[in-house]
Order: sequence, then structure tokens, then C-alpha cells
Amino acid sequence: MIDANIILLSFFILSFLAALSIALCHNKRFARIITVLFVAAHAGFTTYTWFHPGETVLGYFTFDKIGVLFLTILSMLTITTVYHGFIYVRKNTPKSFAIYHTALIALVTAMSGAYLANGMTVVWIFVEATTLAVAALIYHDRTAIALEATWKYVFVCSIGIALAYIGILFLGFTVQNADLLSLSFSSVTGIARLANPLYLKIAFVFVLVGYSTKMGLFPMHTVTVDAHTVAPPPISAFISTTLMNVGFLAIFRVYSLFSSTSILPFMNHVLLLSGFLSLLVSSGYMLKAKHNKRMLAYSSMENMGIVAIALGIGGIGYYAAILHIVLHSFTKAGLFYQIGQSYKVMGTYQLDESGNYMNLYPAGATALLLGLLCITAIPPSGMFISELLVLKSMVLQKYYIYLVLTAVLLCFVMYALLTRVLHIVYSQPRGIKSELHERVNPWQTVTQFILFGIVIFLCFVQPIAFRQLLEGIVSTLPK
Amino acid sequence: MSIPLVIMFAVTLIYFSITERFRIFVNLIIIQGVLLFALAFLELKTITLSTLLFVASETLVFKVIVVPYLLLRIIRKTGVERVFEKALPSFYSLLFVTFGLLLSIVVSFSMNTTPVNMIYFIVSLFALYTGLFLIISHKKVFSHLMGFLVIENSVLLLSMAIGSQIPMLINIGILLDIFVSVLILGIFVMRLKQYAHELTMLKDD
Repeated sequence: MIDANIILLSFFILSFLAALSIALCHNKRFARIITVLFVAAHAGFTTYTWFHPGETVLGYFTFDKIGVLFLTILSMLTITTVYHGFIYVRKNTPKSFAIYHTALIALVTAMSGAYLANGMTVVWIFVEATTLAVAALIYHDRTAIALEATWKYVFVCSIGIALAYIGILFLGFTVQNADLLSLSFSSVTGIARLANPLYLKIAFVFVLVGYSTKMGLFPMHTVTVDAHTVAPPPISAFISTTLMNVGFLAIFRVYSLFSSTSILPFMNHVLLLSGFLSLLVSSGYMLKAKHNKRMLAYSSMENMGIVAIALGIGGIGYYAAILHIVLHSFTKAGLFYQIGQSYKVMGTYQLDESGNYMNLYPAGATALLLGLLCITAIPPSGMFISELLVLKSMVLQKYYIYLVLTAVLLCFVMYALLTRVLHIVYSQPRGIKSELHERVNPWQTVTQFILFGIVIFLCFVQPIAFRQLLEGIVSTLPK
Repeated sequence: MSIPLVIMFAVTLIYFSITERFRIFVNLIIIQGVLLFALAFLELKTITLSTLLFVASETLVFKVIVVPYLLLRIIRKTGVERVFEKALPSFYSLLFVTFGLLLSIVVSFSMNTTPVNMIYFIVSLFALYTGLFLIISHKKVFSHLMGFLVIENSVLLLSMAIGSQIPMLINIGILLDIFVSVLILGIFVMRLKQYAHELTMLKDD
């Protein structure tokens, strides 16, 4: 039996070597082979973590339930993202092709590290690494607008990461006699109960604001929206889901740490406020969105708002939050892939110039409609279950005002998404005659159907193992 | 010995709020780098050679030489020498920053329950406030960059408030500086020169 330490270390070393070899050898065929091997290695590593639950590796990483769950989602979406990436960058120069895949491998590796990290500082370092990797991907198209989005993303994320670090330092004030390793989540739990609540509150607020840049929550949401709008569609799909999950996980871990302390009501209020404001802002912008990808980017913000609200409510809201973020990952990835294909077919992301998609590309239009059902939480979407649980938790916890306001805002979101997507699918473009820009092979849409199929399947059947996994994740939180 | 240095650091922050010339911004960053090195040297009680080298390379080499060099290159390339447009006149900026100093003092004293070096704590909070204020109150990208560098310095100073007992945290903070600053400045120097004024292409219509 190979030691888990060796497995993890090998994974990191192989990832590094894969990224380095692609960066040095500007050959498309070579890059494709290495990337496919990397995807296989990542899937293998993820499978390994399933069979070694709770194991601590190299002192800084633990295969805990939530880490493994998010790693699995990452592994699945890496396969689809690499596939769509191959299509997207196939006409690029070998150098551009190499940079794209080097950065993608670096991003996947950094996110894997962030999911499995068992200490605050280690999470922070890997989150920092994701910023560096994703910057190269956002800037892939080398346009002026891509440069602006990259600059803003890196700048605001850097400030966010600095703020998160200040939060960690505040936690450091409470554990003055410990060394760095004591900032591991398991050891801080005990110390947090004895710590000064004021320091914990400040630490939580800084960590929340800091990691909001990744999760896309108000007030640090603007750059994520810009980045998701500008990045290549496969990357938008990736960072709108797995990278947002990194931000969520970082906040969730700190929330779990402090949940046994007296600041739990404070954290809940802050999360509710942040989530509700995210929902409010995103629904407002979705109503005026004129850019198809930007609309989806605001939709991601809206869903993260729902997750924050669910977490802030507590009770069954915890379960709903995790379920919602899992389902959102599959749905949003599929939608971004599909919007990317719609650009190839219609030659535009502008809503007014889009239309007649059903005639131009029926398979893609069907996938888009299926994605619309999923994201708006209309049955048989699995997100219907998670959103219903969120609303139910509001009733159980007697948050009636939040219930009404959330329901109203969700109606706005549904209206915005339905009118826009139905316009793309069925209506004629306003002003310009629609014509086929580029043909797409329907087989390229199969991945979207699979992803939406998973979301629909989870509406009807939640396998016992999956349910137990989610229940295990939230079992340590207060009832 | 360290208290006068920390106070000097606070003075540079006040100067940041009223100055309009980019070269003075750069000089202030250099001064802050030197002060941070001196403070780190004085505060690290169990300093080892490796830690000293790490801190020296971060503060002296990086903050005093590399970053100012890149900043001066940006000034030369863009040809923008001073702040033409601010959201607030200098007098009001001064008022806001002075208010920030008072706020930092009040907050720090109200949190005086753990053995944290108070003066460091006050000035690092003040630096954080000033950095955010610079970003909000200025319209040019270069000024935002200055705000970010001031926030970075505030993080380093805050690390020092507990840094004598957890030196590893300082090293982690230094990693932040090296990774991000080089990337941000790199992008800025290489590509952004034509957009040195304002970045407003991405917006909701």
C-alpha cells in the first residue's frame, strides 16, 4: 500500500512538472497529451481521497468530507472544461495554447490544495495561487477589455487576500503562544472557545470580506462579474463554479471553527446581510443585463447570495447551502459552455443581437432551455429542492421578512432569466437578421446534457451515500 | 527606539493623503520600506540569520529598490506625473485621514485586552484605513496601486504586532508581497500604460 503522503506529494510534483513541460514545449499535440494525463491523474487522486476519508497528509492537508466533495466536483468539471478548452483554443498559436493549459493545470492544482488544506494559512496560500493562475486565463484573448478585467481581478483579489490575511492575524492574536501549525482548523476550534469574542468577530468579518472576492459576494462581487464576463467560456464555467467554491469553502471553514463560540448569532447576521445584499444587487443587474455572459455572471452572484443566506439561517439551511452549491456548480458550468457555443453560432454575446437559436442550432437551444429550467429552480431541477429547503429553513427559524424579500427577489431573477433566454432561443434578433455564424457539432453539447442530467437526477433521487456525505459535512454545526 | 519609527511611519501616511505628485508617492514607499526593515530588525526578539535575510530581502531589496524602480518606470512610460483628478480636495482628504487616525486609536484602545503591541496596532489599522481611502478617493490607477502598497505595508506592520512570537506569520505575509506585487506591477508596466488614467470599459449599460 502506497503511503498517502507520497500520493499527495507525487500529485503536486507531477502537476508542477506537467505545467512546466507544457510551458517550455510549445507544441499543441504534446500539450494535449500532457493535459489529458493530468486530468486522469487528478481523477485518480480524487478517487484515492474517497478511500482514505479523514486522513491527514503531509501535516497540512486532510481528506475531510467537504474537501473531498468539492474535489470531486472539481475533478468532474476539469474533464468537461479541458474538453471545451481544446475546442476553444484549437486555432490559437502553440504558445497561446501552451500558456492556456499551463495556467489551467496550475489553477486546478491550486484549487485542489485549497480544498484539502487543513489550516487557515495554507488555505490562504493556495487561494493566493489561484489568483495568479486565473489571471493568465482571464487575459487569454489579449484584448483591451481582457486586460482591464484581469487588472481589476488581480488588484481587488489581492486586496481581498490581504484583508483575509488580516483576519488570520486577528485570529493569531488569540493564539499567541502557538506556532503556525496550531492554526490548523482542528486545533483552533478548541482555542476559539476561550478567545476574546471581539477578536473573533473582527477575524470573521475580515475573512468574509476577503474571501468574498473569490466567492463573488457583495461587496467584493464586481471583479468576479467582470472576470466571468471576459474570460474564455470554458474558463468562465470553471471559475464561476469551482473557484467560487474555493471562496465558499474558506468562509465555511472559518464559520465552522467559530460556530461553537458566542459569536455564532453575529456571524449569522453578517452572512444574512451579505447574502441578501448579493441577491438584491444581482437581481437588479440581471434585469438590465444586455450581455449574455454577464447575465450568467450575475446569476452566479445571486446563487452565492442564496448559499450565504442559507448558511446564515442555520438548521436545515446548512444542508441546503451545501446541496445548492453542488447543484449550482453543475448547472452553471453547463450554461457557460452553452453560452460559449451560442457565441460561435450567433457570433455575439449581445442580447439584442442574439436570437433564433432554436432554428440555428436546435441541440444547443434545447440544452440552453434545460439549463434555464435548472438554474431557475423549476422542477425537475435539483435546485428546486435546495431552494425549497432554504425557504423552509426561513419559515422554521421564523425569518419571515427575509422569506418574503427573498421570494420577491427570486421572482425578479426568474423573470430576467426567462425573458432573456427565451428571447435568445425563439425571438428574432432586434434589428439585425440572424444567420449562422459557425456550425457546431452537436456531440460537443453532450457534456451540457450530462451536467444538467445530474442536476435533474438529484431532484428525484439523492443517493444515500450522497445524502450521508452532506449530513456528515453539516453534522458538526449547531442544530 | 521603535516607537519613533512607528510614529514616522504614521506621518508618511498623513503625507500620502495630501500629496499629488507621483514621485513623492514613490519616495514615501521607499521611506516606509526602510522604516519597516528597521522595525522588523528591532522587534524580532529571537531573530535567526535566515529570518533576518528574509525580512531584509523583503523590505530593503523589494520595497526599497524593486518596487520603486518599477513605479518610476510606470511614471516614465505613462508620462503622468501628478494626480489631476481626485474625488476629494487635499484639505478634506487630510480631514478624513486625521479622522482615520483618531478612529484607529479609539478602536485599538477599545480592544486592549490581549498583549498586543498597541502602537503597532494603531498605526497598522491607520495604514489599512489610509490605503483603502487612497483607493476610494483617487481616480487614477496609479493611485490605486499606491493604496494597495500601503495596505500591504499595514499587513506587514500588523504581523509585527504579534510577529515577535509568531515569526512564521511574517514570512507568510512576505509571500503575499512578493507574489502579488510583482504580478500587479508586471502587468501594469508591461501592458497597462495606455490605460493609466481610468479603466471604465467594463460596465453595465
